[in-house]
Amino acid sequence: MKHALVIIVVALAAVCPPAQAQNTTPRGDVLVRGGTLLTVTGGTLEDTDVLIRDGRIQEIGPGIEAPDGIKVIDAKGQYVMPGILDAHSHIAISNVNESSAPVTAQVSVGDVLNPYSISLYRALAGGVTTSHVMHGSANVIGGQNETIKHRWGITDPEGLRMAGAPRTIKFALGENPTRVHGRGTNMRPASRMGVEYVLRETFSKAVRYQESWARYEEEARRNSRAVPPPYNGQLEVMADILSGDIIVNCHSYRADEILMLMRVLEDFGVDRVTFQHVNEGFKIAPELAAFGSSGAAASIFADWWAYKFEVYYSTAYNAAILTRNGVLTSINSDSGELNRHLYHEAAKSQKYGSLTDDEALALVTINPARQLGIEDRVGSIEVGKDGDLAIFDKHPLSIYAVPQKTIVDGITYFDIDRDADDMRLAVDPEASIDTVILHDHSDHHRCLHVGSLDLYGLLDSE
Amino acid sequence: MPMFHRYGRILPLFFVLLAALPLLARGQVDSGNEIPEVTRTYALINARVVQAPGRVLERTTVIVRDGLITAVGTDVTVPFDAERIEADSLTIYAGFIDALSHAGIPAPKEQPRPERPDNPGFPPDAEAGILPGRDVRSLLEADHKSIKDLRQTGFTAAHVVPRGRMLPGMGAIILLSDGSVNEMVYTGETSLFAQLASARRMYPGTDMAVIAKMRQLFRESERRSRLEKLYADNPAGMLRPQYDPTHYALFPVLEADRPVFFHTEDALDIHRVLSLHQELGFSLVLTGANQSFAVTEKLAAAGIPVMLTLDLPEDKRDKKKDKEGEDDEAEADTTAAAPATDTAGELPEVTEKPAHDPNLRVKDSTDLEAEKKNLEARRDAQRQRYLTNAGMLAKNGLTLGFTTLDTKAADALPNIRTMVENGLSQDDALAALTTNPAQVLGVSAAMGTVEAGKLGNMVVADGNIFDKESKIRYVFVDGRKYEVEVKKEGASDSTAAAAVAGTWTYTVKTPEGEISGTLTIDEDLSGTISMDVMPEALDIENASFEDGVLTFSFDVGGTEIVTVTVTVEGDEFEGEATTSDGPVPLSGSREPETNL
Repeated sequence: MKHALVIIVVALAAVCPPAQAQNTTPRGDVLVRGGTLLTVTGGTLEDTDVLIRDGRIQEIGPGIEAPDGIKVIDAKGQYVMPGILDAHSHIAISNVNESSAPVTAQVSVGDVLNPYSISLYRALAGGVTTSHVMHGSANVIGGQNETIKHRWGITDPEGLRMAGAPRTIKFALGENPTRVHGRGTNMRPASRMGVEYVLRETFSKAVRYQESWARYEEEARRNSRAVPPPYNGQLEVMADILSGDIIVNCHSYRADEILMLMRVLEDFGVDRVTFQHVNEGFKIAPELAAFGSSGAAASIFADWWAYKFEVYYSTAYNAAILTRNGVLTSINSDSGELNRHLYHEAAKSQKYGSLTDDEALALVTINPARQLGIEDRVGSIEVGKDGDLAIFDKHPLSIYAVPQKTIVDGITYFDIDRDADDMRLAVDPEASIDTVILHDHSDHHRCLHVGSLDLYGLLDSE
Repeated sequence: MPMFHRYGRILPLFFVLLAALPLLARGQVDSGNEIPEVTRTYALINARVVQAPGRVLERTTVIVRDGLITAVGTDVTVPFDAERIEADSLTIYAGFIDALSHAGIPAPKEQPRPERPDNPGFPPDAEAGILPGRDVRSLLEADHKSIKDLRQTGFTAAHVVPRGRMLPGMGAIILLSDGSVNEMVYTGETSLFAQLASARRMYPGTDMAVIAKMRQLFRESERRSRLEKLYADNPAGMLRPQYDPTHYALFPVLEADRPVFFHTEDALDIHRVLSLHQELGFSLVLTGANQSFAVTEKLAAAGIPVMLTLDLPEDKRDKKKDKEGEDDEAEADTTAAAPATDTAGELPEVTEKPAHDPNLRVKDSTDLEAEKKNLEARRDAQRQRYLTNAGMLAKNGLTLGFTTLDTKAADALPNIRTMVENGLSQDDALAALTTNPAQVLGVSAAMGTVEAGKLGNMVVADGNIFDKESKIRYVFVDGRKYEVEVKKEGASDSTAAAAVAGTWTYTVKTPEGEISGTLTIDEDLSGTISMDVMPEALDIENASFEDGVLTFSFDVGGTEIVTVTVTVEGDEFEGEATTSDGPVPLSGSREPETNL
């Protein structure tokens, strides 16, 4: 809601220090030479170069002449794919859940980004360059999310933000919000019906809030003494959802509930939604595809379920069924470990459902980019897009693939050849450092010891 | 011990009474029957006077009369009624100013698990830690030990703020004397204190919610302030704006009439507070900021004053090696004492500490020692950044002051000396202790230098105060002289346990009266505790004594364990006994040893 902000901005202008110069994130130049390009949107190009200038892809083609002094990466025999996107993550933030109320739309994980989190580097080591960092799922309407780029080494949290990425917010249906609130504090929602009630009540409040501000603005044109209605940060955000400025991302499993939210959103004229997890999405794929003007999207796990009652009815064919039914589908990690092998997760859609290479790769690249509204910037190798690349030694859908280099905005943030033992950005000055003894020093227990051929201590010459 | 336990049940009432005590005390007026002071005039004769950073006068006399410095000079007549202090071996500095402190503010005895409000998403402001209108002056306890502790280290004034969570209240500047609260208060409503401290089990329960709440409060206050102005301008036909203490307390902050002292703990906090500052536009003084070395450029660009914590990370280097190192140093010193000219240009051989190699990749897991050494080197290098932080901030032109909020008073001066050893110039250190906080707090006309007309706030040391060897001899606060007890050499070296061994009588203050008893502790920290309401003595368990703090517990039967934590000073201790219902204050004294 811009009108309320205008008042505040005008009112504060007198005391505000001049805004700091727009945070400029580092951008690099690099020529990636001779790799097999998996462009995702433009097919596979053998022995092709990619030239990145000032953080953007400037040229794609064979035998690009290297500009003077540019860093050249020899990718001959290697596979170059767009940087992987994780559409559902909780890395690099200090708080995940503001669980004190069933609606906390006013909070944002973007306010508590933590660029020191080693998870960023680990994600880079799995080829992931962009994460959709989400609020937790304790609330029917949780906080706002943040789309970040993994610019490892920048310690100013502003440097992680992907400037210009659309705003998104977390919703949650089912067991989580009813457990935390209904059973936890004896508040609404205690049931799945209650979840719908909270949604409708909150959207209705937002409609009234919009109306009261519209009335005020109308009156303020005639009357300089018009009285503005109370400011409500939560309803500001809800109103922005109604205006289409914020994309809803909803934690959901069961088909009936997903249908419920689609009805609620239709009633309030909200056109963009991505369902997260969506384990029962395969049951209602046509309905998802038919939602709104361009369908509801689905961001799912490849094969993770049965960790709570409402996720028992699941299938590893979910990605393929959704894709074949025309649902914009991505595969996410929701985990600081799983995000390091999202390319494996994508490959599972070939084992279960025989998706093509491009379809499978799209699940972790261009599709999540479209869900987040950043498909013009990332998600494929195209001229004009951000210089975000992941380079693998084998085809990334092969189980033998190992990420070699990961590039964000033309800067190499992960290089397997320069992967030092301690990549943390800061350490505790009071840490006590203990030696971890992995084996007896007498060398008797070296079986299965990786990295040493001297399995039985036979070569020990001491 | 059923009695002891039962008292715990009515503790809440007790706390209410306790909270009311300072109010009652403040209501008292001097009876006029007190013994008059012999004199309130002092003459410090022929001292070295550091009037202000970089301004030193030799063999100068300072006269303090009725609370004020009345003369500083070489040609000063000593008044007939002055107490004469021959100060020719002493150095006088302006009294230190603690830019942010909880001195005189007792720690609230928080319930371990507070009641969750009916609607945790919308708790009452006070429960959520949102008290921007609370005045710290109503919380001061004049005889709180923390005031004396701070004074002993050279601090004469402190900007005190309430304890609490997100917005604990408004600060005041107090003089660290032993007068009544009213005498101590220099000025009130000086600041709004803020921290990224979430509420427990209610909104705002996370840092991100604290930030969102801050936005909500500022924007709605802005609106209400506007309504107030419209109404004041012409109330006719306008709905009357409704008063509320929370938003109204923020009006002066919106006008930038009242600065926000925002306390931060790490670099992330600093970034978040700077973002809020930029967004909401309040006038900001950053405090704590222990990792400001990671944000220096941004702070300098924004021109934010930093009141740096006096806490420093502990040195975790291997104790054994450290000792060896000290021995080496001692030897090196001896060599250095030999004719220096002979070895000019030749540095004493120092065992180089291995430098941290950021690119280290051990060959395999057998090379653990290399990895460990590297991690240690990195940790020690990281600690060094904290030690050099103050000097770097000053060099970057930031207005630097100090806060003791997270610091034990006894660590303050030693840590400042460590900062000076690590690149903080003595002038910058003195400015950070005197003129800078005076300027940031708007009291430069009255404090911060040794000049005629200023308050009689001074520190008098037997040498350069930034030297490890120097001792503070006197502290003058508001023109009153306080002698600093110089601890006997080696007193602190006596074995720890011996310092608590003996028979102690103690008193626990409970709401229904006092419980007294005897605590007997041997040098091996075993002992017994008896109580006048109990027939027999109980064994104490898990006793420890470190840094003057004695901790032990005892089992009173059932499942109830009482834990006692007291700070021992000489033959007195003070602290609390905690049951499952919460803590109660406990104090005691050692019975004199009887020589048979």
